Amino acid sequence: MSLYEKEILKIKEDIYSNQWQLDTVIGLRNYIDNNFNEKLNLNLFSRIRFVSKFHLLRLFKRYYGQTPNQYLIDKRIEKAKEYISAGVSISNACYDVGFESLSSFSTLFKKKTGYSPSEYQKSNFR
Amino acid sequence: MKIKLVSIPVGDQEKALEFYTSKLNFIKKIDIPVGGGNRWLTLVSKEEQDGPQLLLEPAPKDFEPSKVYQKALFDAGLPYTQFDVEDVQSEYERLVKLGVEFSVKPIEMGTAKLAVFNDTCGNYIQIVEVL
Repeated sequence: MSLYEKEILKIKEDIYSNQWQLDTVIGLRNYIDNNFNEKLNLNLFSRIRFVSKFHLLRLFKRYYGQTPNQYLIDKRIEKAKEYISAGVSISNACYDVGFESLSSFSTLFKKKTGYSPSEYQKSNFR
Repeated sequence: MKIKLVSIPVGDQEKALEFYTSKLNFIKKIDIPVGGGNRWLTLVSKEEQDGPQLLLEPAPKDFEPSKVYQKALFDAGLPYTQFDVEDVQSEYERLVKLGVEFSVKPIEMGTAKLAVFNDTCGNYIQIVEVL
């Protein structure tokens, strides 16, 4: 067994031995992936996973390195890029991925991708 | 600053180009001769052709410390870098059919599933699926 394989098994035992916690955060991430276009918030996540919201927040951040909300925003922006590339209008893409305000969508889109939605749209149809 | 390029050391650029395009399905992006038989040779992912480029870096051929470092990582089984895949298990099966050798078979590690293969150019490469 290589040094690396030994390390993997050690980390698995030391860090990832709590299966309940893993199931909880993996379940939440799957839920976000499947419902990113809905109105989501920590209260809802807490009810779905039967875990206090602050504990859930800490767990998600511990295992994924991001808060559920940060993950949700990244997911929505990624999906918006897909939709815009596929020819969906900017405002439809914004609402279809779950944002409620076009201006906050545009600001976040620019921050995350480096392009405004319309710049991104033009670059994809060049 | 932007991250546009990451490099991976390879002993033989032509062999690496063949492996990374025919087995891993990357696409050649830039190929410029830079003297001494070396090339500025970069690849992109088929699914993300405007994403970061992977430079097949010929350092181990010409620079002894690079060769020593690459060999030490390889001997310990440490992956030089990692790529994301949708499904580790199916990618593992696809690559095994193509004759790729794995040093670590698919294994779940908390919120990720991973596997490690030999790129035949002096490196181990890890593939990862986030669960």
